[in-house]
Amino acid sequence: MEIRGEQLKIGYGDFTVINNMDITVQAGRITSIIGPNGSGKSTVLKALTRLLAYKSGAVYVDGRDLRDFSSKELARNIGVLPQIHSAPPDFQVRELVGYGRMPYQKWYERNDAEDDRIIDWAMRSTGVWELREKSIHECSGGESQRVWIATVLTQQPEILFLDEPTTYLDIAHQLEMMQLIRRLNRENGIGVVMVLHDLSQALEVSDWIVVIKDGEKYAEGAPEDVITPKMMKEVYDVDCSIIRVPGRGKPLIAYHEI
Amino acid sequence: MKASRKHKVSALRIGTIWLLLAILLVVLSLVAINVGSAGYSVREIVDAVFSAEKSTVKVVVMNLRLPRLILALLIGASLSSSGAILQSVMRNPLADPGTIGVSAGAGTAATTILLLFPHMTNAVPLFAFAGAALACFLIYTMAWKGGVDPTRIILSGVAINSVLGAYNALLQMLHSDSLEGVLAFMNGSLSGRSWSHVRVLVIYAGAGLLLSFLCIKSANTLQLGDEMAKSLGVNVSVTRVLLSAVSAFLAAATVSVAGMIGFVGLVVPHISRILVGSDYKQMLPTSMLLGSVVLLAADTLGRTIVPGMEIPVGIVMSVTGGPFFLYLLRKRGKMRGN
Repeated sequence: MEIRGEQLKIGYGDFTVINNMDITVQAGRITSIIGPNGSGKSTVLKALTRLLAYKSGAVYVDGRDLRDFSSKELARNIGVLPQIHSAPPDFQVRELVGYGRMPYQKWYERNDAEDDRIIDWAMRSTGVWELREKSIHECSGGESQRVWIATVLTQQPEILFLDEPTTYLDIAHQLEMMQLIRRLNRENGIGVVMVLHDLSQALEVSDWIVVIKDGEKYAEGAPEDVITPKMMKEVYDVDCSIIRVPGRGKPLIAYHEI
Repeated sequence: MKASRKHKVSALRIGTIWLLLAILLVVLSLVAINVGSAGYSVREIVDAVFSAEKSTVKVVVMNLRLPRLILALLIGASLSSSGAILQSVMRNPLADPGTIGVSAGAGTAATTILLLFPHMTNAVPLFAFAGAALACFLIYTMAWKGGVDPTRIILSGVAINSVLGAYNALLQMLHSDSLEGVLAFMNGSLSGRSWSHVRVLVIYAGAGLLLSFLCIKSANTLQLGDEMAKSLGVNVSVTRVLLSAVSAFLAAATVSVAGMIGFVGLVVPHISRILVGSDYKQMLPTSMLLGSVVLLAADTLGRTIVPGMEIPVGIVMSVTGGPFFLYLLRKRGKMRGN
């Protein structure tokens, strides 16, 4: 699956965030969208997933106009975890994960054996199986974020869109989330498109990186081609070196001393 | 949402709560049949009801108390269900049928008929229903802008409610000598209702209550937030409008029969949430049961507490319910240690 945005102009009300952008994301790989605060990362993600209507341009899913999809059909193809989501704290984990089956059901249908099997699979894949009887309230921040991932995973999407999946998590849970995302991609072949703030993590797990600056696409490519001292200076106005450490596959970003 | 619970509410607990509410409902019903301004003993009532001859006792019980009992049950369940659904639509615990103009619309229609066209008084229920529907429609039309979002509904509701309220106030000022009917309507009363009212409400409330069971899944998904619901393939704006329509229909049906009864739609869903959690699969049926219990209790209290006089159920509801709700809020606060 390929989702292609062409000449996208996106904004809120009279305010334009993205002026004219072409962007393509593909199933099967991990794509990270990075950029400074307010550059329009989340806005692009929302337009590609139809959470936000674009002002002009077009988005095609495998050549078919995004607007031609019914809500449910779209939800069977892509899963989106918005940055802001909440459930009543007393909702049971398994119950919440089960909502991911809604796109496959008519309004009167309930979960059947096949749905239950997929719900169980999603909970096991994200490591929340042990939590299934608990309420959201009883889960830690990292756990509840994995429960949400399980929910969108239950939609059996080809591409999973995650808007800052590690925000508000401590470093251990951030790394755990990145491992989970990579495992889902490598083992289940699920495409991931995510907005990330942490460049080290983007560098480490992404197959492809799109850099956005002031509503324009600044660069895109393989992580090591994109994350360079020059880009860091021009996009973030930050001085750094990219260093290699023996025994480590990916390079590290070494920010200059404060 | 506020109704956080430390532990998942077990099926056993929910079963127990439903059973207790059902028992309470039966007991209250028996009490409601038994007490009243005409004091009959249980024996007299049982004898009269099961005898073939037409006695005064039988008439009072069968034609006055029984229809009133049924109305109280239906209205309590309808208003609570209406409020519960609306709270998910608005994602706001303060939403009640008044928010979407049902009360103001029905009030405007009823006031107009009662004060300006008193010869059409018999048609008040019909006009009240139409007024409620119209006000609700108006609010949603004003709030629509490529979709509906709760804040815009609430704000446009505030605006339209205030215009209608001003009109009502003006009309009442100009006709301050003939306000009896208007006051009765505004304070929601079940006094003097008969089987003809029951027949109407059974159909409307019955249909509305059945429809509200179909809203359970949608109401639950709206609780996950707009973007999440959308990404699960829910058409959020359409869902909001459909759920609001069911809610308005239920509230309008009760208003047209009994006038405006506040508080039930706002508070009963809250108490239900405290009791069984916020999953509508349990919360909605609990609200219906509890709504019936609460309204029946209030109506029975209102017609017996002061001998020889009836206090409208709407007033009893607000006077007793308000402090009770405050008590619940404070008690819950303590339990959670804040």
